[in-house]
Amino acid sequence: MSQQNDAEAELIQPDAYPQMVSKRDGLRCIQTLQSDRVALKAKTAMASYTPMLRDAIMEYVEALEEAGTDLERIFAVAHEIRNFAENAGMATAGRVAENLCRYMDEMERVKKPVDQTIVALHVAAIARAARAEEDDAKMGDVVSAELNALVRRRLADAGVR
Amino acid sequence: MSGGFEYLKALIVEDNSHMRSLLRALLNSVGITDIAEANQGKAAIEALRLRRPDLVLTDLAMKQMDGLEFTRYVRNDPNSPNPFIPIIMITGHTEKHHVEEARDAGVTELLAKPITAANLFARIAEIVERPRAFVRCGDYFGPDRRRTRAEGYKGPFRRAEDLEDMDVR
Repeated sequence: MSQQNDAEAELIQPDAYPQMVSKRDGLRCIQTLQSDRVALKAKTAMASYTPMLRDAIMEYVEALEEAGTDLERIFAVAHEIRNFAENAGMATAGRVAENLCRYMDEMERVKKPVDQTIVALHVAAIARAARAEEDDAKMGDVVSAELNALVRRRLADAGVR
Repeated sequence: MSGGFEYLKALIVEDNSHMRSLLRALLNSVGITDIAEANQGKAAIEALRLRRPDLVLTDLAMKQMDGLEFTRYVRNDPNSPNPFIPIIMITGHTEKHHVEEARDAGVTELLAKPITAANLFARIAEIVERPRAFVRCGDYFGPDRRRTRAEGYKGPFRRAEDLEDMDVR
């Protein structure tokens, strides 16, 4: 069913185009997506990737440290760390990387220069968190919160709300 | 009993091989095994033509052709094999302006990285349970950017802007 709401907009209802699954299969799909068995299977599958992801994160950390003052490279690598550090069991490194990405992204958006000192502080914190024997939640939380506060202040100074 | 997804074909568009592996593993766990992979938008277009998937999971930031450009192609190009295909965009760029860009390109659902099984499954369930109407309006073609509200619901609304309609978790 297609409706022409006004002269410009056409609304095409879901029953008027092919759906991903049939209505008959839909209920079974929902049961599958919500089942404890599938949740456990997914959790196990994800856990099996943790060692591989940890290795990848460590490679990214090295790349981050080697990037020097190449901001484009730093942003790209920090983004990869932010994207799956938590899946690698390195949540603190992920949080600090996220903070760094947000800072760089917002500064670019408002066309203000990035402070290299803030970048360097984040890079050092990411590396330290990633290399900790275990994810040192207590210390990591303190460092992450301090960097977060610093970024919030700097973004506010730059006019980012 | 089978889980309903046996015949579903999926396409993963992601330039990071680790993320592709994770997504494949998660899709496998619900019974989706027919999965094509592409590492950027142009390769994904080819896979769309050859494999005719029923569901697309795409990254946003990719070299050559990113997820936004790919989504615009799927929704608007006359050669697109299926302009109505559900597209879940998986991205670490969750800032408001990026979310709005994705919504305006025509993505069906957004999923924030780092991914979790629960969040991915919730997005797929949303597509199954509450398929969205499509809108053709001006230069936009894609899922209705305003989700249907519960009948008679008068609020409260958590956020003031349209962004509230795009749930990013």
